[in-house]
Amino acid sequence: MKNILILLAAVLTFSQCSKKVTAPTVSVPTIDKSWRKSAPAPGAARDIQLGTYSDFKLDNGLHVIVVENHKLPRVSYQLSLNNEALVEGDKAGYTSFAGELLSKGTKSRSKAQIDEAIDFIGADFNTSATGIFGTSLKKHAGKLLDVMTDVLYNPVFPKDEFEKVRKRTASGLASSKTNPEAIASNIRSISNFNNKHPYGEVQTEESIKNITVEDCKNYFDTYFRPNNAYLVIVGDITLPEAKMQAEKYFAKWQKKDVPQVNYSFPELPKGRQVRFGNKDGAVQSVISITYPVDLKPGSPDAIKTSVMNTILGGGIFSGRLMQNLREKKAYTYGARSSISNDRLAGVFNAGASVRNEVTDSAVTEFIYEMSRIATEPVTDKDLSLSKSSLSGNFGRSLESPQTIANFALNTFRYNLPRDYYNNYLKNLEAVSISDVSDMARKYVRPENCNVVVVGSKEAVAEKLKKFDSDGVIDYYDPFGKKLEDKKVEVSASVTPQSVIDDYLDAIGGKKKLMDVKTMQTIAKSNLGGAEATFENYQTAAGKFAMKVIMNNMTMQEQRFDGTKGIAIQMGSKKEITDAKQLESLKKQAVMFDQLKYASDGNKLELKGIEDVEGVSCYKLNVTDPAGEMSVEFYDVKTGFLVRTVKTQEGMGQKVTVTTDYADYRDVSGVKVPFKITISGAAPMTIVLETVSVDINKSLSDDIFKAE
Amino acid sequence: MRSTILTMLGVWMVSMLNAQLNKIEFREFTLDNGLHVILHQDKSTPIVAVSVMYHVGSKNENPNRTGFAHFFEHLLFEGSENIGRGEYDKYIEKAGGTLNANTSMDRTYYFEILPSNQLELGLWLESERMLHAKVENVGIETQRQVVKEERRQRIDNQPYGSFLEQIMKRAYNVHPYKWPVIGSMDHLDAAQESDYKNFYADFYVPNNAIISIAGDIDYDQATQLVTKYFKDIPPSKKPVYRPKAVEPALAGEIRDTVYDNIQLPAVLMAYRIPAAGTPEYYAVSMLGTLLSQGESSRLHKALIDDQQKAVAVGNFPLDLEDPGVAIAYGICSMGTDVQDAERAITAEIERIKTESIPDEEFQKLRNQVENDFVTSNSRVAGIAESLANYKMYYGDANLINTELERYLAVTKEDIRKAAEKYYNTNNRVVLHYLPKPAAP
Repeated sequence: MKNILILLAAVLTFSQCSKKVTAPTVSVPTIDKSWRKSAPAPGAARDIQLGTYSDFKLDNGLHVIVVENHKLPRVSYQLSLNNEALVEGDKAGYTSFAGELLSKGTKSRSKAQIDEAIDFIGADFNTSATGIFGTSLKKHAGKLLDVMTDVLYNPVFPKDEFEKVRKRTASGLASSKTNPEAIASNIRSISNFNNKHPYGEVQTEESIKNITVEDCKNYFDTYFRPNNAYLVIVGDITLPEAKMQAEKYFAKWQKKDVPQVNYSFPELPKGRQVRFGNKDGAVQSVISITYPVDLKPGSPDAIKTSVMNTILGGGIFSGRLMQNLREKKAYTYGARSSISNDRLAGVFNAGASVRNEVTDSAVTEFIYEMSRIATEPVTDKDLSLSKSSLSGNFGRSLESPQTIANFALNTFRYNLPRDYYNNYLKNLEAVSISDVSDMARKYVRPENCNVVVVGSKEAVAEKLKKFDSDGVIDYYDPFGKKLEDKKVEVSASVTPQSVIDDYLDAIGGKKKLMDVKTMQTIAKSNLGGAEATFENYQTAAGKFAMKVIMNNMTMQEQRFDGTKGIAIQMGSKKEITDAKQLESLKKQAVMFDQLKYASDGNKLELKGIEDVEGVSCYKLNVTDPAGEMSVEFYDVKTGFLVRTVKTQEGMGQKVTVTTDYADYRDVSGVKVPFKITISGAAPMTIVLETVSVDINKSLSDDIFKAE
Repeated sequence: MRSTILTMLGVWMVSMLNAQLNKIEFREFTLDNGLHVILHQDKSTPIVAVSVMYHVGSKNENPNRTGFAHFFEHLLFEGSENIGRGEYDKYIEKAGGTLNANTSMDRTYYFEILPSNQLELGLWLESERMLHAKVENVGIETQRQVVKEERRQRIDNQPYGSFLEQIMKRAYNVHPYKWPVIGSMDHLDAAQESDYKNFYADFYVPNNAIISIAGDIDYDQATQLVTKYFKDIPPSKKPVYRPKAVEPALAGEIRDTVYDNIQLPAVLMAYRIPAAGTPEYYAVSMLGTLLSQGESSRLHKALIDDQQKAVAVGNFPLDLEDPGVAIAYGICSMGTDVQDAERAITAEIERIKTESIPDEEFQKLRNQVENDFVTSNSRVAGIAESLANYKMYYGDANLINTELERYLAVTKEDIRKAAEKYYNTNNRVVLHYLPKPAAP
């Protein structure tokens, strides 16, 4: 009963064919509507004009960008730092504390006075770790800049306000413990980046306790420097006015050298790693498939990747993920993907919130769509839809003057060619189908990713094991701290071979097992509403046969007489000649592989003790002479094999199959598992219930006849 | 979808433009079948927003078929006689446009933003939706599941996500505002194809809709095209159903506790208020600004800064067509007792009744309202929606230019009186949200 997957796959495809088809209903036309049949043609397109910007530098190094737009009588000022984020270590959160505290008191104004001054003119104003932003009606701009520069030149980081920020942050962190999106975001950061990378840090209740006012002052003093900043002015203002304001308010800002930090690109996940955050009682799972990508702003790949991602699951409703998971399967309210570009490291992320029952099916669909875009060329239709959508976004974004300001800021910050955005539409148009395939192969990695799921552990976690390359789910607390399994030390006397010996003893002992000459196993399984019976025959002489019966009809049969093999499908015979397949049949004839682990040259590694469904097990990696590895889990107490995890090729895809063995019962002195649960091989989990086992019953040669 | 049931915070953003500063010019007319048309030209960017607002929300539903209005917002993207299933989005996205829709208790709103040379495409799609959308089982089945996921994602799985539903079912006994926009999943399951077809025939008719177009258009051409696509759509034969129920005053304060998957307790106090657009409503709205707009506002300063009893506070009126509620709330800081937070909020409300608002603070209120008025609607999509809103609720699209005057007419005494009349204990529902006890 080990390798029934190929048979199963065929049966499953068959049993799923009988989908109901609803006849379309037709409403009765009341007026002549024939002219409505097809969509109207577009009119002549107007050229898309990019707005312009100006820029200049003050003597202290402050780079000023100005975008004029006189539609509304308002103006905004954005002071934006240019340094990379910092690694904050056990004080994670101190730079954001510093940013928040900036507006909480100056030498001459208390926090309440700052708030009053801002609210009185109906302005928006906020400070953060990366800059200061303010906007108001033009007539109040002077008052706004007074406050903004007071905060910049004279902040005092008051101790009492500092404690309030800490208390409020602590409350916020407490409340985020039950927010599934927040939990997922924390686990994502930690999984994608290590703790030496600023993007891998998460604020915790502990880390904010370590922050001091001095940390905040130091950060501000070091990084809030004009030579490390851009000032972006947008709105109802002229260039001469902007120059005057910049000189008047910002020329006295003192420059100072700012330290530069470099970070190495994070390591990619090894294989596929399921990382789970438990939320008791959750009715949905938040799924996020994610990993870091090396994609820099303005790189030649950036535009091509956005086209590819739009097809996969970018902003549009026609994206494949949305169409598949929402419109076809109705698993979710929305499924999307994104690829960000960033100087340090971008991130791929594909995700959805889905109901508990379909969590594993949804992951399967994500992986399917991620694989498909890399292996099948997209169609012309997909490509042109994606491009139109992106050029439409671009055109619509130009309605906001802030867009032009952002373009200018990016151009300087990322050192883009001055005409990068002017050429954007042209470069977008040039993206080809093969570019999309190239990008998918380069940046979409369904086999090397973190599968982050936040939901009810009890309801969904078990079903996710099949996606994990090593068959073990890692669990995290809401702040992304890995929860260690109760580590049990393996005692020195235990060796890989002793685990195997204990297992052989547990199921009857070597002598007894060597005496088994034939074995006949009948099992049943419910496959999507239809019951299937599996008959399995093995002999010590190396013969093997298997039948799948549904509705009293033999659907599938395989026979192997020791040298030759045949497959019979719905009555039509086919000889098996492929050496690999014959080898696999030969393996299936073996009743107790473990007897021969040593003599067959398998490499065994004991990887410690791990928990499998609450049972402590020895974890053993078994590598056969061909280099294929499977992971086996043996119950520490009883010695029984309880789980195997193996990644194998099936139907052209790599799949990780988890097989659980339970309900061992005595049959003629040999212990046989009567319940076998297979997940990962088919879209659903398959449970095989053993009906009968016969040992050393005389089996007719006809059963194995391979002619 | 599509995006949204109107959520509370979105609702109270006052959205209009200042008359003196930037007058919004528009033209409007009504077709013979009753469809009202509003056009606004702005050629600064080559895009156009095409929107249709149907005067149907959850309050128009049969009490045994709740959730229909919102369900239709999903269903009516499934296609029409001439638009294949799932093609609706494709047409828009292929044209480089974007689309979405949302539903409130009072209306359902659909819009597309397109490159301006695709105006006609938008009109074709919207007219197909109004004339002969596909209302049939295959789409109904899919969208039922999607709506259930929407409910799980937005309400059941969100901390405090059920608050509006919990408040409204206690604040109303007879008026249909008592049930949630997303409705009952059992009702949706029980409904037959014919129920859906009837709802479509009753409400998706030109005499129950406003089409509002803003952006890079030519007035004459847009008029001609709207007429071409919409004039032949038949109006309904019977009058559109509008609920007549008048909710009596609350018999007294209603208090209750809701246990949710949350960490921090919260207090919510919902006060019954007059319908949007009435003079008293503007006073109630200014009262909300006084309480919670900006960090110097009364609730923020008292509860977050001075007493540190809360991590978030707010107060906002739901601007509903029939008399609605204003909700004051606080999410407690760690270790704060929910009673304590409630007392602190109530104290601030009582202070408004007894102490006159200082001149400077009152001027601040007026400045804030002016700023919001001027800076909102900087985009054509917002302008299209505001024009339709003003026309549908108040019968006057030009309020987009003049509504600020109504706010500025509110006096300090009006605010004090509004507090006295509406923000009192006998006129409120108080809910305490507490963490669910851990499962045994």
